[in-house]
Amino acid sequence: MMDLTINNYQKQLIETIRKLSEQEIKPFCLKKDFSKTQAFDWHLVKLLGELNLVCPTIPVEYGGLGLDMFTIGLIIEEISVASPSLAAIVETNVHFAQPIILAGSNYQKETILPKLTGTDACLSSFALTEVTGGSDVKSMMTCARKISNGFILNGRKEYILNAPEAEYILLFAFTDPLHKKSSLRGFIIPRTISGLRIGHINEMAVLDYAQMAEIIFDHIEIGPDMILKETEPYSGYFLLTQTMDIGRVLTAATAVGIARAAYEIAFDFSNQRIQFDRKIRNHQAVSHSLVDMATKIEMARLMTWKACWLIDQGDDYTIASAMAKLSASAIAQEVTAAASNILGAKALIKGSFMDRLTNDARMLSTIEGTNNILRNIIASLL
Amino acid sequence: MNLRELGERIQTAREEKKLSQEQLANAIGCSQSALSNYEKGKRRIYLSLLEKLSEILDKPLNYFVENFEEANDDLPLANLDSNLVLRIINNIYSLDQEQIKEVDLYIQYLLWKKDRG
Repeated sequence: MMDLTINNYQKQLIETIRKLSEQEIKPFCLKKDFSKTQAFDWHLVKLLGELNLVCPTIPVEYGGLGLDMFTIGLIIEEISVASPSLAAIVETNVHFAQPIILAGSNYQKETILPKLTGTDACLSSFALTEVTGGSDVKSMMTCARKISNGFILNGRKEYILNAPEAEYILLFAFTDPLHKKSSLRGFIIPRTISGLRIGHINEMAVLDYAQMAEIIFDHIEIGPDMILKETEPYSGYFLLTQTMDIGRVLTAATAVGIARAAYEIAFDFSNQRIQFDRKIRNHQAVSHSLVDMATKIEMARLMTWKACWLIDQGDDYTIASAMAKLSASAIAQEVTAAASNILGAKALIKGSFMDRLTNDARMLSTIEGTNNILRNIIASLL
Repeated sequence: MNLRELGERIQTAREEKKLSQEQLANAIGCSQSALSNYEKGKRRIYLSLLEKLSEILDKPLNYFVENFEEANDDLPLANLDSNLVLRIINNIYSLDQEQIKEVDLYIQYLLWKKDRG
């Protein structure tokens, strides 16, 4: 039977992050001018590092908290309420670590996973999208050519989160141009490897605190120790889909956090703003709008929790995860729009928190499998 | 090959091994209805399960997944030499912009020639 009870440990974790969000994360983000690309500021990552939350999936034996997906979903919602971009940084680390946790060799686990833990946790990237496309694996151009002792990798990845600072990059590349999907292989690339360059930093209207950049792989030689499932040449696609299907539930959790933040701002504002001699919350049009927002957020949250629970049970989570992201991202967009309507002109101030939330909500239908791709996945399994 | 065909391969391998759905489901640690969905292509299959199936059904992983593509992905390229195409793609990364434009022009010329028969 499905159990969505939040236990004491989880409650404590939520309280800790909520306090950190109110006292440190949100004030930092509001004070900081993200309008121009500048050096990455590690302050918020360090704060999470003190709680060992930079990559909360890392198993205990490698120095992490080894949290289940339900708990991580709760954490991501909480962080997203204050900073969706900080949540995206954590999610990227989770994405990076997932294939290694699922299919990495002992050497890969022992040498890499501990680096994502503790106060000095590094950042990492999961590189999939390319200029030629992200949703369609066949449009991928990054390729790896087999040599006697490993592979030579060439290509470019675009819009890669954490790239400017990532110590490791995990990517998938095809090894046979005629059978791209079945020949996909996963590679772990240390940042210092010869031939790797960080290209232009993408100046985005979303995820202000996080940084995205292009990564160029120029004749990179990868030894067998950094190939995922080195002896299983047909493993990549099935590892990639598992990683994506697990990871996208965290995008759903971010969507819930963004929607909740927008709702809370609109709710507070509606209790202060007086129009026609009463608080606007007491106008039926506004109160109904708030009710609709709260109801939708609850729907999105429950779908997200259910998908997380299924992942933790090892049950069939593909559809649940895709539906949660599909639904929660649409709801975040609806709620930020409705909340903006209640705030009026205040929501339109460039760089205001509501402005940032609205932008971040727009991004949700594109990342982690576009919503149309998710519809295709769900349709194929109905 | 798509999820449904992958499911058929699982079913064939199971029957060759003379296992019932229930027996195989128990061996890989899932319910019979879940296995039935895998065999019908109604449930996405992930690497960890494929590895278990490979071991229990005595089939190499590539028996299940070689040439796996989603529906409508079949390309009319079966006669091409994969290594040659991969070498061409790899070499393109070593060229500068002007040289890449020359390659593109040459390909367009070949396509034009092909169109004229």
